[in-house]
Amino acid sequence: MSDEHHDTHHVNYLTIFFVLCGCTALSVAFDLVDMPKAVTMVLVLAVACAKAMCVMMFFMHLKFEGNWKYVLLAPTTILAIGLPIALFPDIGSSYYINMAPQVGEWADEVAEYRDSRVEGEHTEGH
Amino acid sequence: MGIPIPNSKLGMWLFLGTEIMFFTAFIGSYIVLRLGSPGWPTDPEDTHINVLFGGVNTFVLIVSSYLVVVAHEAMAKKDFKRARTYLTGTLLLAVLFLGIKAAEYKGKIDHDILPGHIAETSTQAISKVDREFEAVVRQRFAVYIDEGVIETEQPDDIVTLSLDVTALGEGDVERPDSMTADEFAVFQESAKVDTDLYREWINLRQHVIANVSLSEPALAAGYLESRAQLSEGEAMPELTIDEVQEWLNGLRAEEHQLSALVNANIFDPHPIVFGNIFASCYFIMTGFHAIHVIVGMILFIVVLKQGSALDEKWTDFVENSGLYWHFVDLVWIFLFPMLYII
Repeated sequence: MSDEHHDTHHVNYLTIFFVLCGCTALSVAFDLVDMPKAVTMVLVLAVACAKAMCVMMFFMHLKFEGNWKYVLLAPTTILAIGLPIALFPDIGSSYYINMAPQVGEWADEVAEYRDSRVEGEHTEGH
Repeated sequence: MGIPIPNSKLGMWLFLGTEIMFFTAFIGSYIVLRLGSPGWPTDPEDTHINVLFGGVNTFVLIVSSYLVVVAHEAMAKKDFKRARTYLTGTLLLAVLFLGIKAAEYKGKIDHDILPGHIAETSTQAISKVDREFEAVVRQRFAVYIDEGVIETEQPDDIVTLSLDVTALGEGDVERPDSMTADEFAVFQESAKVDTDLYREWINLRQHVIANVSLSEPALAAGYLESRAQLSEGEAMPELTIDEVQEWLNGLRAEEHQLSALVNANIFDPHPIVFGNIFASCYFIMTGFHAIHVIVGMILFIVVLKQGSALDEKWTDFVENSGLYWHFVDLVWIFLFPMLYII
């Protein structure tokens, strides 16, 4: 705790506050309006990104910080984007399609698999 | 040469960098799990997600974030009294946030929306009712043994125990010397209810084992007789979730003597596809977020404990606590649409 120099920036925090409230209301409104789920998803996440930018830029003062912010936040940003992209081809696109008990067809698939194994064992036995 | 910010602020930003990775792991995993799970539960009837609760909590965190930033501004202007007022407001809003979160969690617990508890198929849902019924029966029977009303060497043998409880209800068991006549009469009355409870459960269990509709006999003699009447290629009608639900509704009816027991101990059989992974994601993300809220509250309490001794030496601390709090708000900004809206 020191009494070093503190930058003073002329930010109207109340305006940012109202923008954030408006964005929250917008998110709820998108939920209430009847539109395709994918569109709702994109709109709502776009609003969330806008809100996050407002908080980071003004409340967290990143807008007024030096270039160190890029060095510090770049690795985490890469991870944040990279993790879903890296997992998507396997887990995100098909992990439950073939083998999940939750998927109706699975029971039939397993039955077929078991039958084929039993048949195979019988064939080998003979 | 060096970064033109206080060491404590650099430390806080480095810490927030690790925090971003921490929540990214949860949020990123949630996104891919959700994309990979066709039929992810979104209906509030299934998830008991209340968008109003989430919306109010978002508003609460935004107001608290605003109060923190103006508290830091007041600290910079050496208006410490105003800073304390704003921080007190932030602390109270954090309490409100956790209160709303607790109400949400209670709703989930009341409906058994918990990881590992959710039936995902009709078969699992029927099996869950069966297991819950068995647990109640065992719990009720255990009371007779614990109180010394029934003596048995095999407390786990539920069939033998049921015979003893039936005998007790019919007045065929002698009163223990240690018990008054009134006390014993209470157990005798209770035994009649528990006998009925056992019969209802064992009837369901037989139908579950045989996978036969409740409209058909499932016990050995009647079952075999019904099967013998089937023509070639014909099968007995299978047990369905709807008829189990209807049967439960009958037991829940006010006039039924088992209604209180069933209402208190048996959840409605409501299969939710991907319900367990949904519940895991929901609790791990909101739970860790709530822990962060508590940590933020501790930081504000540390400042507020200074009382009138709060001075400019605490400005950096308030700024860093504020950064942390804004990050908590930031995480919620993404959790709200992901969990409550989409």
